[in-house]
Amino acid sequence: MRVDTASEPSLLIATDLTRAYRGGKGVFDIRLRLAAGEVVGVMGPNGSGKTTLLRLLATAATPTSGQVSWFGTTNARDPSVRRRLGVMLDQAAHFDQMTGYQNAWFFAHQFGLSDALARERLDELFSWSGLWDARDQLVGEYSLGMKRRLNLVEALVHRPSILLLDEPTLALDYRAELDLIERLQLLSLTGTAVVLATNDVHLAERLCDSILFLHEGRAIREGHVPELLTEVAGSKEVQLQLNSPISLEGLRSLAAVEAANVDGDTVHIILARGANPAQVLAVLNGTADLVSNMRVRRPNLGDLFLKLTGVALPVGHR
Amino acid sequence: MMLAGTIWQREFVEFAQRRRALVIKLAFPLLVAIPLVLSRAPSIYAAMALTMLTAIVGPLGAGAVLTRERQTGLTLRYRTLPVTPGRLLIERLSTNAVIDFGQLIPVLVLIALRHPSAFAWWPALLLTTAAVLLIGNLMGAVASSLSQSPGEVMLYVVIPLLPLLYLSGVFTPLSQPALLVVSRLLPFSYLHEALLGALGGQPTLPPWETLLASLGFLVGAAGLTGRLGRRVFESD
Repeated sequence: MRVDTASEPSLLIATDLTRAYRGGKGVFDIRLRLAAGEVVGVMGPNGSGKTTLLRLLATAATPTSGQVSWFGTTNARDPSVRRRLGVMLDQAAHFDQMTGYQNAWFFAHQFGLSDALARERLDELFSWSGLWDARDQLVGEYSLGMKRRLNLVEALVHRPSILLLDEPTLALDYRAELDLIERLQLLSLTGTAVVLATNDVHLAERLCDSILFLHEGRAIREGHVPELLTEVAGSKEVQLQLNSPISLEGLRSLAAVEAANVDGDTVHIILARGANPAQVLAVLNGTADLVSNMRVRRPNLGDLFLKLTGVALPVGHR
Repeated sequence: MMLAGTIWQREFVEFAQRRRALVIKLAFPLLVAIPLVLSRAPSIYAAMALTMLTAIVGPLGAGAVLTRERQTGLTLRYRTLPVTPGRLLIERLSTNAVIDFGQLIPVLVLIALRHPSAFAWWPALLLTTAAVLLIGNLMGAVASSLSQSPGEVMLYVVIPLLPLLYLSGVFTPLSQPALLVVSRLLPFSYLHEALLGALGGQPTLPPWETLLASLGFLVGAAGLTGRLGRRVFESD
């Protein structure tokens, strides 16, 4: 059963958080509150600021303005803050000339674990992550997926109060992703708060309590997952695989179309509530050989993002 | 399998596991020193070459490693550790300086065996070598914060190092009073003096003065290292 967080103070509060980089990139005026056991997903296309936001929350970057409060303190360098954060950044950075177990041992001790506790937890986590047989292999010989799993082990080993995970399912196979979802659900039930930056709609819908949509560094929408999904409920997403390009403007002008975007040779269309895919096909009348494939499905968080911004989230990792 | 839980232990473990680098690191100074010391090259030339060698060993190693870590994202991970940047930099650079010192021990032993009568200079030589290695590592660390690649860091190390060596009187004896004063503010001049003395040459300073100055540089470098932690690990 999820812990009651109503009376709990927020573990993390970001207020008007801004980090500006040259060229106009960065994140601007972000507000975020995170209670114990809460799982927040940060979604947005590449370059939208997800990684920058995660780095700010993880104390790996300094804000240009605004502030983050962790457990009631705004001192990002306070060791007692960092000991309670479990961080998996976007880069799978390790000491390549050391083995996976040596890397994890080093990080476990940096977070204050004793030899006995580190050994006990690392043995369990290496088994869970499927890295047990590769524990004595140099990290330089690991695949990207193995390095990402090692990152997860290192983020989890000291049982942090807040987990900050950047694209945690990137390069993971389906089995590993399911294991991760299950583990994070369990951690959430025992009070661990999680922020994850992801474009994996499947992961976000299964795991997150709420979602923060980022677009060009700004929060454009936030809310609980069921509440967000009602905004696209009743409509449909139509994916048309085309043999040759068509005018998106023509499609967008249709009353039946709420949003449309092209991704390679596929057009993604969000239909208005009650609209029928046949209405779209009717527009393509006379070019019957234009559509090579058509798929209609229930809309998801990615479709809501498309509806809000006109920009499609990158295709999921699977 | 060796396990390392602290920053300095990790530096040693990683170094010990890189066998090829270990062999190269130990062989390189000896390849430079053996012909110089055994052939009884004039002490002024031998001291110049060995001062340059010692001055360049630290910054190149530290600069290249830290730049590579910045590229791979390890520097970002350091920022999330519950360790102050100052302590992190002191632990890393002092460990690297100790490793560099170990690399130069065969050279120092060779000098001592070849010139046993110059034993009065040995304490000063040991201390100036340690001070120059720590300062060199610090130079490399600062250079890494300005560089995008290990190749670029070499430029940022060598460009200031060569004029500093000149100003230290390593290439040619300094006669102008102003330049002499400048040379006494630079650690390389004391290393050069100690090497000259240990190689049986004619240094201008007595051993105790060189020893004291080196001690000052060593303490100063340690203090500066602690203060530059943020500059090195938190500059974006």
